[in-house]
Amino acid sequence: MYAFILRRLLCLVPLLLAISFLAFCLTAASPSDPAEVALRVNDITPTPEVIEKTRQELGLDRPFFERYLAWLGKALQGDLGTSFVTHRPVARELARALPSTLALACVATLVVLGVGIPCAIVCFVREGRLADILVRALIFLGAATPTFWAGLLFIWLFAVHLNLLPTGGLEGASSFILPACTLALPSLATYTRLLRAGMLATGQQDFVLYARAQGRSPLAILLQIVRNSLQSTLAALGMTLPKLLAGTFVVECIFAWPGLGRLCVTAIFNRDLPVIQAYVVLMGLFFVLFNLFMEVAGALVDPRLSGRGSAGRKGKGRPDKSRPDTSMEDRA
Amino acid sequence: MLSRLTRRHNPLSFVSLILLLAMAFLCAGCQEDAGEKTPAAAKDSAQGPAQTSARAGRTLVYASTKDIRDINPHLYGGEMAAQGMVFESLVTNTTQGVQPCLATSWEISEDGTIYTFFLRKDVRFSDGTPFDAEAVRLNIEAVLANRLRHAWLDLVNEIDRCEVVDSHTVRLVLRHAYYPTLVELGMMRPFRFISPKCFVNGGTAGGVSGLAGTGPWILSEHRLGEYALFTANPGYWGEKPRIDSVRWKVVPDHQAIILGLQKGEIDLVFGSDGDMFSLDNFEALKAMDRFATAQSQPIASRAILVNAHQHFTKERAVRIALQYAVDRQAIVDGLLNGSETRADTLLSPEVLYCDVPLDIRSHDPAKAARLLDEAGWVMGADGVREKGGDKAVVRLAYNANNAQEKSIGEFLQANLKALGIEIRLLGEEKQAFLDRQKSGDFEMQYSLSWGTPYDPQSYVSSWRLPAHGDYQAQVGLERKEWLDGQITRLMTERDEQVRRDLYRDILTYVHNEGVYIPLSYSRTRAVFVKELSGVSFGLSQYEIPFEKMFFADKAR
Repeated sequence: MYAFILRRLLCLVPLLLAISFLAFCLTAASPSDPAEVALRVNDITPTPEVIEKTRQELGLDRPFFERYLAWLGKALQGDLGTSFVTHRPVARELARALPSTLALACVATLVVLGVGIPCAIVCFVREGRLADILVRALIFLGAATPTFWAGLLFIWLFAVHLNLLPTGGLEGASSFILPACTLALPSLATYTRLLRAGMLATGQQDFVLYARAQGRSPLAILLQIVRNSLQSTLAALGMTLPKLLAGTFVVECIFAWPGLGRLCVTAIFNRDLPVIQAYVVLMGLFFVLFNLFMEVAGALVDPRLSGRGSAGRKGKGRPDKSRPDTSMEDRA
Repeated sequence: MLSRLTRRHNPLSFVSLILLLAMAFLCAGCQEDAGEKTPAAAKDSAQGPAQTSARAGRTLVYASTKDIRDINPHLYGGEMAAQGMVFESLVTNTTQGVQPCLATSWEISEDGTIYTFFLRKDVRFSDGTPFDAEAVRLNIEAVLANRLRHAWLDLVNEIDRCEVVDSHTVRLVLRHAYYPTLVELGMMRPFRFISPKCFVNGGTAGGVSGLAGTGPWILSEHRLGEYALFTANPGYWGEKPRIDSVRWKVVPDHQAIILGLQKGEIDLVFGSDGDMFSLDNFEALKAMDRFATAQSQPIASRAILVNAHQHFTKERAVRIALQYAVDRQAIVDGLLNGSETRADTLLSPEVLYCDVPLDIRSHDPAKAARLLDEAGWVMGADGVREKGGDKAVVRLAYNANNAQEKSIGEFLQANLKALGIEIRLLGEEKQAFLDRQKSGDFEMQYSLSWGTPYDPQSYVSSWRLPAHGDYQAQVGLERKEWLDGQITRLMTERDEQVRRDLYRDILTYVHNEGVYIPLSYSRTRAVFVKELSGVSFGLSQYEIPFEKMFFADKAR
């Protein structure tokens, strides 16, 4: 297992280098001159003399690869540059914004689970009936609603009209509710439908028939179906967290949430290139790490994936295509 | 088998999920305690709980889409309104002209190159440092040490040195007589004063260690991207503010600002040119009983730049035809709800030196069509004029984030379509808009003058800089070199009558060449709760006079 983890970690190195290089290329390919941008965002008129001075200060007069290597060297030591706008270290800016976004994404995940599972159960139990159709229609409506509009509607209804919650900002637990629900809305539909489909498939399995024949209570059978169907949903959920982290742009702007999304939107509007660059690398890092985390977790529960099992030996650590679907096999 | 599987898979996923959640909340919890404070905020909040406790008392909540950022008065990274709350200048620009502020009076030498200022004697910075001649000298030298950053302001280049005469008298020595000296000293930046104790490495160019000013407010807390709390300066030398504190709340979304106002979380929204709310929103809020609204006097000029260096618009006849084609009154009545004054000239005749007799080009589509016909631009079969195979197509660039510019662009599109000119609207985010402005890659571009007190001298002066759209639009003019020379001469001209003549020549030339389509004279607007009184406007569109505001209802 350790060898597997080490192997996967080693694979990350070229991947992260590629991400960092791409991020650097993207910002370098920006049509705006970074020196001018750095001046403009500070309301300084970019005269040729000032532009030249700023180019030297930012090291933009050096060749591209030299700049990239210098940036990479510093980045490895935790120095991601200085923001053009705030003149603070980018790493500090990201560290300031990350916890709020992480917390929001986690609460949104809880909302997805807390609302999605009961909805899927209702749909499964009342399959094809009014409740199923109604829940699915509502979920579909929620997913089809643009996030910015849903957010504004939530503020209008719950904050302004009913006066139950704050309109925005991060000032206590209640301020999580509206942004987290708004953020969860698009994912909610996906997971409810995924779980519902899983439950319907599981409900057709022989073990369910066997359990019924044994005379077990409907509730116990339902719970068993839910537990078995959750497996694939939770695996998909592992990748949802980074997606939610990367998808907070709109929600954070509407709810004045001091997180990564807003930091990045502000940076994009100001062409604050060091921040954009660091944000892209950070998001790439998140996706790669969560992917690794899920792989390791999968390998822990199924040793064949890590190369310890017989199938793994054949496939040198990769899943064997000839291997039957685990869940189906176990259910059988 | 089944139970084994579920026990092996689900607990792991659940545990990892719960661990992540716990970590996230822990991080968020830590962040609550680790609030970002500016050096000054940290220093000032250490003065005691009395000031911060004002938050529980009478705090005015002002919402803005922007954070105050770094309000070092000698740099340009912060919000000007916030800089004006904390830092003051020697003189101040008012509707009655230049008035004393930190200087009680001043003398100007015969040749106009030496300004002697007599300073107030009862002033201290909020960190306790006395405000004296030495502090003035150090501040001015700190600005001059960073001359390149202030290249837009001619005064910075004109100051030769600053001398201390006695403890409360300073002398400013200029290289040449420079007539806007007092006006530019009274601007929001960079000639404002910060305690020399806040200097880093003997200056301010590389940042400051604190934000102690002499103004009516002290920045006592700042959470970047969330809010800034300004408390009334108890040692302020002038009339003290009547509210205890101002909470500058950052709400990036325009609609969320309106909803916050409706919920009662926000007391005041203040802005110009659609940067805080659209005119429709303003009108809607105005109609509500719960809010009061106010509008300033016309403060800046809204216009469309017509680029004399582009293929279609390089012909003077075309530019003049465009002026006749635009129905400015309809824009003012229909799009701006009659809240602004129609502009017939680039700068309002009420602006100093701008009362120049110019031909008014009122809406006259027939005349516009005739001018285009005479210039050889004849109507094509597809309804678009053409000449020698070229189509009459122009690109109108505007800042997509501005609520009003798009509406005005669409209106112009309809106006010119009737004349056989196709407008392609280019709504771009601000930096792309500015890039285009600097490259001159546009036929038409939305433009707003800097407003008083920058108009006319600083605004006209900026026409000489290639980074400005004005320069790019004018660079195709036959007498651009002459125009720039006249502007340069104007800045150092001492004779009032000659100066007037120079302004007349400059404004007449750009008007006759049609490089600007004047639209309206814009206003600053405020929406606020009815309990708030004393809401007024400064001379500049960038200042917010919080110190004059107060809550009429004391029980609030």
